[in-house]
Amino acid sequence: MEQERQVSAVARNKFDIDESLESPFNIQHLKRSLVYVKKYKGKMILALVFSLFSVIAALFGPLIIQEALDVAVANGDIPYLLLLVGLLALSIGVSILLNVLRSRITAVVGQNIIYDIRQDLFEHLQQLPFSYYDNRPHGKILVRVVQYVNNVSDMLSNGIINFFLEIFNLIFVTVFMFILDSRLALVILAGLPVLVLIVLLIMPVQRRAWQNFSNKNSNMNAYLHESILGAGVTQIFTRERVNAEIAYTQFHNCRKSFLHAVFVSNWVWFSVEMISVIVGAAVYGAGILLIKPMATFGTIIAMGDYSWRFWRPITNLANLYNNLINTVAYLERIFETIDEPVDIQDAPDAKPLPPIRGEVEFKDVVFEYDQGHPILNHMNFKVKAGESIALVGPTGAGKTTVINLISRFYDISSGKVLIDENDISKATLHSLRSQMGVMLQDSFVFSGNIIDNIRYGKLDATYEEVVAAAKTVKAHEFIETMEKGYQTEVNERGSRLSQGQKQLISFARTLIADPKILILDEATSSIDTKTERLMQEGLNELMKGRTSFIIAHRLSTIQHCDRIMYIDGGIIQESGTHEELLRRKGKYYELYMSQKEDAAV
Amino acid sequence: MFQMKWVWHNLAGYKRRYIMALSFVVISSVLVFIRPMLTQTVVDQVLVGIPMADGTVFRNYDILIPLLLGMVGIHLFRMCMLNAGVYNCDYASQGMLINMREHLYDRIQTQDRTYYDRNRTGDLMTRLTGDLDTVRNAVSFVFREFTIDIFLFLTTAVYFFTINALFTLAVLAVTPLLLVLSKIFSKRVRSKYIFLREKLSEMNTKAQEDISGNRVIKAFAREKYEIEEFAKKNNAYRKANIDAQFTWLRYFPAVHVLANTLTITILLVGGIFIINGWLTAGELAAFAALDWAISEPMRNIGLLLNDLQRFFASADKVIEMYYQHPRIVDSPEAVELPGRMRGKVEFKDVSFKFDGKTVFSGISFVVNPGETVAIMGSTGSGKTSLVNLIERFYDVSSGAVYVDDIDVRKLKLSSLRGGIGMATQDVFLFSETVDGNIAYGDPEMDEAEVRRFAKITASDFIDDMEDGFETIVGERGVGLSGGQKQRIALARALAVRPAILILDDTTSAVDMETEKYIQKQLKELDFSCTKFIIAQRISSVKDADKIIILDGGKIVESGTHQELLGRDGYYREIYELQHGTGKAGERSGAE
Repeated sequence: MEQERQVSAVARNKFDIDESLESPFNIQHLKRSLVYVKKYKGKMILALVFSLFSVIAALFGPLIIQEALDVAVANGDIPYLLLLVGLLALSIGVSILLNVLRSRITAVVGQNIIYDIRQDLFEHLQQLPFSYYDNRPHGKILVRVVQYVNNVSDMLSNGIINFFLEIFNLIFVTVFMFILDSRLALVILAGLPVLVLIVLLIMPVQRRAWQNFSNKNSNMNAYLHESILGAGVTQIFTRERVNAEIAYTQFHNCRKSFLHAVFVSNWVWFSVEMISVIVGAAVYGAGILLIKPMATFGTIIAMGDYSWRFWRPITNLANLYNNLINTVAYLERIFETIDEPVDIQDAPDAKPLPPIRGEVEFKDVVFEYDQGHPILNHMNFKVKAGESIALVGPTGAGKTTVINLISRFYDISSGKVLIDENDISKATLHSLRSQMGVMLQDSFVFSGNIIDNIRYGKLDATYEEVVAAAKTVKAHEFIETMEKGYQTEVNERGSRLSQGQKQLISFARTLIADPKILILDEATSSIDTKTERLMQEGLNELMKGRTSFIIAHRLSTIQHCDRIMYIDGGIIQESGTHEELLRRKGKYYELYMSQKEDAAV
Repeated sequence: MFQMKWVWHNLAGYKRRYIMALSFVVISSVLVFIRPMLTQTVVDQVLVGIPMADGTVFRNYDILIPLLLGMVGIHLFRMCMLNAGVYNCDYASQGMLINMREHLYDRIQTQDRTYYDRNRTGDLMTRLTGDLDTVRNAVSFVFREFTIDIFLFLTTAVYFFTINALFTLAVLAVTPLLLVLSKIFSKRVRSKYIFLREKLSEMNTKAQEDISGNRVIKAFAREKYEIEEFAKKNNAYRKANIDAQFTWLRYFPAVHVLANTLTITILLVGGIFIINGWLTAGELAAFAALDWAISEPMRNIGLLLNDLQRFFASADKVIEMYYQHPRIVDSPEAVELPGRMRGKVEFKDVSFKFDGKTVFSGISFVVNPGETVAIMGSTGSGKTSLVNLIERFYDVSSGAVYVDDIDVRKLKLSSLRGGIGMATQDVFLFSETVDGNIAYGDPEMDEAEVRRFAKITASDFIDDMEDGFETIVGERGVGLSGGQKQRIALARALAVRPAILILDDTTSAVDMETEKYIQKQLKELDFSCTKFIIAQRISSVKDADKIIILDGGKIVESGTHQELLGRDGYYREIYELQHGTGKAGERSGAE
């Protein structure tokens, strides 16, 4: 059980290690996120159309005002003035209405998109193997599912529409500028290459800065998450001061990286603003002094106005661009997780496993975590349906590995694991695991009440069934004495339940699932012997007709099994009933005697 | 407005910078007025020119370049002010964030166990991440924009008054209406944001637990179920988000109509005023030119109020955590232990209630320095609670616990807990190197020492791992087996050289041989140490100086292995069950 878990440490991550991401700025991430947007293409186009009309409606405003001042007011024509004011109100009203419609659409689309991304991310996480969760702080996974996804919503809804709007705007203005005076238009456009140059210079720095921030933020979250979970341990070791210093360092790193990213990003709009005013001034200068013959009064005024109208969308685009760079830093992480390979998955031709009778066979099974370090070394055994098997052996012999392979939590390197003569690598994971009852060493309790925790094994279990399961494992008694009985709220780290009680609850959870194959890995280690013995009677009843695998260090727990397999060095050294193995006077005998002697002192 | 006070309080050290930053952005926003003025001058004096008495037009080309340079210069100045203002708002808000985080982090670390019984990790994480970020955003962005808008509005209003007071009043007549509307809107949207962040917290909790409990989910093949459950939370959050935004959008037309009435009144009333001679065309032009400086702030106000309510909803949650004081703290007269703890522990008539239920009562016993005490009893009999009282993770309901003859409530927590080493049932390792985990209580410890303690607890299997002591173990130590985790946890507890060592079922997943080895090592420690051992196996407890049996909230048996075996009680029964002798043994032998 010991060496078998030596997963290579290379890929491991802890709170203060940045997760490296080498890929250069990749438009692919953006393209990929557009797949999510595409689903709402119709709505997005509708929103865009609304926005366009809203902009056009708003354009009438200045025209109407001009007409009112120049004509209606100049002539003292109050009825005409009223008419124009009415028109103005109408254009404003239409503009507002269209704006609301657009915003309603983008609100829904934006939320739908992040719902979809989050759901995809979560679904993928459900498929990822243990090792994914073992290799990084959980806080870093959590931050991606919740925060990162939240951060991309605006960019993928409003951002896209605004982008198109501003581009339209820009094209529109450019065309008008050239119609009016192509020479001055060139002056205005001359600012663009400068801007592009600046953006190209800033972009790599900016992108790295936001990536860096997302790293530091992720590190900090991982540390906070661990600090909450480990608060108990911290208090035991009075390490509050040391931890606080580490945490403070994280906070400061976070701040530093954020301020740096902001500092760099701010130069983008700063540059745009400066270029726009220089260009604006240049239009007057060039129009008056350089261009011969001098441009007309009207042209210069209009071009000055256009210059402003041209650069305003660019300012907006620059802000969009800033958001984009920021968003991409998050998208990268999200897609990185979605792309994480699923090691263990249904084979393409996988079929559901028929109802299991309970025959288990290992045929020449080799299993290694790292190449060349086999944990199981050509292991062979066959278990008949309904047999109870105990696995014993020194730590690191491979007991837990054996049972992990039966549920296909890991894939074997060579050989075959058969259940009822079906190769499990060709069965669907769901059909396999849903018929197994695995009780792990770690008894995890979900936050919620006790009854729901037991029901996890069988979601539609009635109250009576839950109670029956609890009675079988002798958990009923203590649950009944709790304030709210089965409705008592418990949580992951809660101290309402002792470790032994948690084990009893996860035991009940396993039993209620009515598994065809029952696997108990040190499932009763924290349960007192008396309770365990009481449970045994109910269990024996249950184990009839079911294949079961039991790992336990207390030999008294396993003596009655049909067969005891002594595992060492990745193979089965001895196999037989308790009595047979004692008669053989081999390794099991030694183990048994040492425990016995030990007690007889 | 307590939330504001709280924010201000946490801006400590950055208040001046924040005010300065706000002034910068205000100055830069007011300077907006200058550019049109300069343009106007260029148009009037250079483009159009000044008509001379002799009928010619004088175009003042000499001032063109200086004016244009001035335009650029002032804009440069304005942008620098804005840049500095924006950056320093961020700077100050980050400073505030650190102040808050540091305080909150202290809260996390010192909370009582009961706090963690009541609060879900996912919810606490929401407060520390999403909620705090909303607060930061309010300080760096929302308040800043508010300030700009208010200044812009006020300066423009004052300017308008100086031009034409009557007309200004007519133009601003709608503002009270806007205020009323804002108030109604704020109230409505507030509850939406409270609901929204509740949904966020629920989603966060679900995600957090499904990440932590990934093994159970796989073992039960419940992936589909979890995905559906998560979809429910995800969907509830989505709906709450849309609902909040739609609430805003319901008020959006009204706010914008009101803001735009300005434009309409300027035109309508202005027109009528001019026709009646109450206003000049030039004056109206001035109004029209600055129309935006009044209507823009009014338009913004709705959005800002929206953000403000979001801020309030989040701030309340953070504040709740911020001011949550732990109950178990140093009493004012708490003392430090003089020198190293000796390790004497005494329970005097101790009762303990948890969740209103008596766990045990009338517990009395004395343990002398260096002794080993074993505690046994049925599942849930209160063994863990009993040892938790020594570390003062809970306070007794009556009676008292003494360490070195001092009531633990009168000792400084750091002094008390610093003398005790504990390895708990539920092993929590940090995602750290093995080395870092073992040296958790004493980060300064050198590697040789770490190795020594690893050896004592048979944790030297670590050497066989690829990276040895530098191997990073996952949170909850899930990269390791149960027995391995327990051994590392034990090494961690020993490494602080405690005067009292509490082993709460620490070797349950360790095989017998290894356990025997560890027990032998524990007897040969090079420092004096009182040991409390909670265990289920007879082999773990039989060598203890005293074995205490807890049952039904009382000590039912107490004595040495031999003494207890002599009695026909709980201990003897367990012994027989575990060693296949006597009645129980016959039964198992028959199977």
